[in-house]
Amino acid sequence: MNAIELSHISKSFGSFAIQDLNLTIPCGTICGLVGENGAGKSTTIRLIMNALQPDSGTAFVQGVDVSSPEFQQVKEDIGVVLDEAYFPEVLTPVQVGKVMATTYRRWDQKQYTDFLQRFDLPEKKAFKDFSRGMKMKLAIAIALSHHPKLLILDEATSGLDPIVRDEVLEIFNEFTREEDHSILLSSHIVSDLEKLCDYIAFIHQGRLLFCEEKDQMLETYGIFTGTAEQVQSLQEEAVVGCENSGYSMRALVRRDEMPASLEVERASIEDIILFMVKGAKQK
Amino acid sequence: MKALLLKDCYVLWKQMRIFVVLVLVFTAINNSFYSLFAVVWASMLPYTAIAYDERSHWDQYAAMMPYSTRDLVLSKYVLGWLCMTAAIALCLVCQFVLGIINHTSPDYASITTCLFIGIIAIDITLPLVLRLGVERGRMALMLVIFGVAILGGLVAEISFGDGGSFSLPLPLAVLIPAVSVVGTIISIPLSMKLYQSRS
Repeated sequence: MNAIELSHISKSFGSFAIQDLNLTIPCGTICGLVGENGAGKSTTIRLIMNALQPDSGTAFVQGVDVSSPEFQQVKEDIGVVLDEAYFPEVLTPVQVGKVMATTYRRWDQKQYTDFLQRFDLPEKKAFKDFSRGMKMKLAIAIALSHHPKLLILDEATSGLDPIVRDEVLEIFNEFTREEDHSILLSSHIVSDLEKLCDYIAFIHQGRLLFCEEKDQMLETYGIFTGTAEQVQSLQEEAVVGCENSGYSMRALVRRDEMPASLEVERASIEDIILFMVKGAKQK
Repeated sequence: MKALLLKDCYVLWKQMRIFVVLVLVFTAINNSFYSLFAVVWASMLPYTAIAYDERSHWDQYAAMMPYSTRDLVLSKYVLGWLCMTAAIALCLVCQFVLGIINHTSPDYASITTCLFIGIIAIDITLPLVLRLGVERGRMALMLVIFGVAILGGLVAEISFGDGGSFSLPLPLAVLIPAVSVVGTIISIPLSMKLYQSRS
């Protein structure tokens, strides 16, 4: 079964539109959703959670059509952290816990309290006095304390200091040790996605440019650094994108199209994405 | 729904304390206009809760949780009704205690009329505020409060006899509760539709 399955989803807002979005995330995997600001990541998440109705196409989560009444039940199995939507600012973590205990049937108060201690969150401090990092930590604690099977995280690691970010990533990693647990994680921090994800989906101007296995991407692509003449001599199919640094040229290349005589370095996910967006072929 | 009401009660808790003091002060004056003011003010408390929700973008977060649109909308009506019931209960207790001292009895008829007028105020304003938000719906709120004050004045003018006792004429005694019931039946589905269309 797939954790998330979007098929030909389109949604128009006038000047911006999600166009023919197809995305499949198998159960038990972590998928990173990457894209620049305004690319459509948050809109995609809202469409997945049926907070927005698409103009066309279908969305299934945990095998259930999100537009069906049964999806309300499935929401019990989904933990969500949003970028900039929180609890009303006068609430304290203790009060939030009480509200959540009457919201989710499987709410685990002990686990919630453990997370509050682990994240060093004051139990009786009003939400308005929290830093952005503290707000995100509280949202993560809530998302994980009702035994979800799917986590949907919109920029959940942004605003966290590197130490806490690492700890949170480890918690997400622990979460996916259960084979039916899955995560969809949208982030600007590509290094986080590289560390954590099995799949990388890249969304650009409302279109999904690719959704590929991370390891496959790292195997397929490499970075070649050489002179402009060397890059120009390569087959057209080999070069995905290139940039001129003045003295030399850097190119994202397909390894299997490269001559064995030329040395190709490992490309990071960030390199691959940047070259795909910016690197119009300049051979 | 219980969770949403609990959240709103936590949000309004500080307001509630001021609210209790104000109701006590107004009812101590033992005048129907002040009872009406206390009840109508109680009916406006859901808008304070909505303003806090808007500031934190709670509605986006709530859409991700297992709350239905029906629960999200209905909880605001129930909150208004609960606040008004609490205001009326406080008014009655105060008037009862004052009655022991002054040898008067609580004015049940005028307080019940205040409740129905408060319900009508909610029926008119909540759909607008849920669609437009508190900021943009403020003008509508002001107009409705103004309208309620005029309605309350007219009802008082018609209903108070020379001896100062409250006696609502029969057509109004039927019309006001009927409008509040019919208004609620129309207002709730309308609010749900407008709330959904907001996204």
